[in-house]
Amino acid sequence: MLNSVFDIKVIRFAAAVTVMGALSACATPPPAGDQDARAAYEEANDPFEPANRLMFSANVMVDQLVLQPAAVTYRDLFPDVLKPPVENFITNLFQPLSFLHALLQGDMDRAEQAAARFFTALPTLLLADTFPDRKPVFEDGGQTLAVWGFEEGPYVMLPLLGPSSVRDTFGTIGDFFADPVRLIAGSEVTTGRSVGNAVVTRSKNLEQVRELQRTSLDYYAAVRSLYRQQRAAQIRNGISEPAHSAPTIGLDLDEPDTDGGKKETAATN
Amino acid sequence: MRTIAAFVLVVAFSIGTSAARADSHIDTSVKFINSLSNQAIETLTDASITTEQRRAEFRRLFRDGFAVNGIARFVAGRYWRKASDADRAEYLKLFEDVIVNTWADRFSQYSGQKFEVRGATDATPEKSAEDVALVESLFFTSPTSPVRLEWRVASKGDLFKIVDVKLEGISMATTQRDEFNSVVSKNGRSLEALIEELRRRRDG
Repeated sequence: MLNSVFDIKVIRFAAAVTVMGALSACATPPPAGDQDARAAYEEANDPFEPANRLMFSANVMVDQLVLQPAAVTYRDLFPDVLKPPVENFITNLFQPLSFLHALLQGDMDRAEQAAARFFTALPTLLLADTFPDRKPVFEDGGQTLAVWGFEEGPYVMLPLLGPSSVRDTFGTIGDFFADPVRLIAGSEVTTGRSVGNAVVTRSKNLEQVRELQRTSLDYYAAVRSLYRQQRAAQIRNGISEPAHSAPTIGLDLDEPDTDGGKKETAATN
Repeated sequence: MRTIAAFVLVVAFSIGTSAARADSHIDTSVKFINSLSNQAIETLTDASITTEQRRAEFRRLFRDGFAVNGIARFVAGRYWRKASDADRAEYLKLFEDVIVNTWADRFSQYSGQKFEVRGATDATPEKSAEDVALVESLFFTSPTSPVRLEWRVASKGDLFKIVDVKLEGISMATTQRDEFNSVVSKNGRSLEALIEELRRRRDG
């Protein structure tokens, strides 16, 4: 049984890679002469964009047909009193992997937190939140690789799993093999955990995703930006970093008739 | 000896005043965010006003509290530089309209969730003409799991403006800029493409 589930995973992954390969008509980089276009292309860091967009549409379809209905059902029909234990169970089942990665990152503090959360919850069959005042630790292979200095690499849209990067894809593959929960309890447990986590997470962002889909001018690009920023925040463990670039007040724009405005007009004439 | 003492005094004094000045822009930024959020809750969440009234009120607060044009220029990215004056003016207007239409209506759903400022730090970049403070706050969408909101407040003299909002570490300005960049780079690579897209969004 263990092997068959694993085989299916491997086959699915191999199929996905083949599909990706077939589709990876890479985006043609703009000519070197067009500096703006070139800079925009490099900033997006998405050479597989055509294939990624196609995969994204497929994922959005699966989301609408399967994940979203499941998430709505969970939110509206699942008894509210049973939600915390289910969600605690999923969170607690992630702690061994988080512990491993906190160790690999040399972060003893967070390793200890993950271990403490897991072991104190064991007597409750992992159903309790034993540290309600502290956020649970979520560390994974992609974050560890980032801490070790690996670059993020191009953006990748994985089938079913969604947004990723080359680095995070390696992290995900590594996590599949290294997860202590899979090694002890089997991959049925980790697969169940992943599915459960997807449904619970989706049930909490139903409104936000709908809003984003409704208001964004380019939903794919918005998701790409959100994914990268979210990952960057996770890698820093939520500690904010000085902004590379941020808007300024732009006083020169407020009254176009003052000096700033005149200068601009003079320059364009 | 006396010169050294005088020098030390001058240095101490200048450190003292610059620290005091830095502190004052941080404190004022916190007050600014508190007052703006109180005004927003007071005026925008009133269930008896019409959508039009709410949007007009939101537009007033948005202009008052946010560096609308500075943000608009930032999110237009590299295409701002090459755009004509007429296009820039049109874009700034549309940008504001779209933000107002998108965000104003959300306040009608507000039902007394707690908003709490937790503190602020200085984030003034080197060689900046403006002081910058990051104001940390929590918005309690549920009593146990609040959303972390970080307000980037730029100031110059007595003028205080929000230039960015980070939601759980995700910058609204950066997200918008990345998205706009993608739209523009796919359609003619000029601000005009964005203007067209924004007009469709506002009118559609």
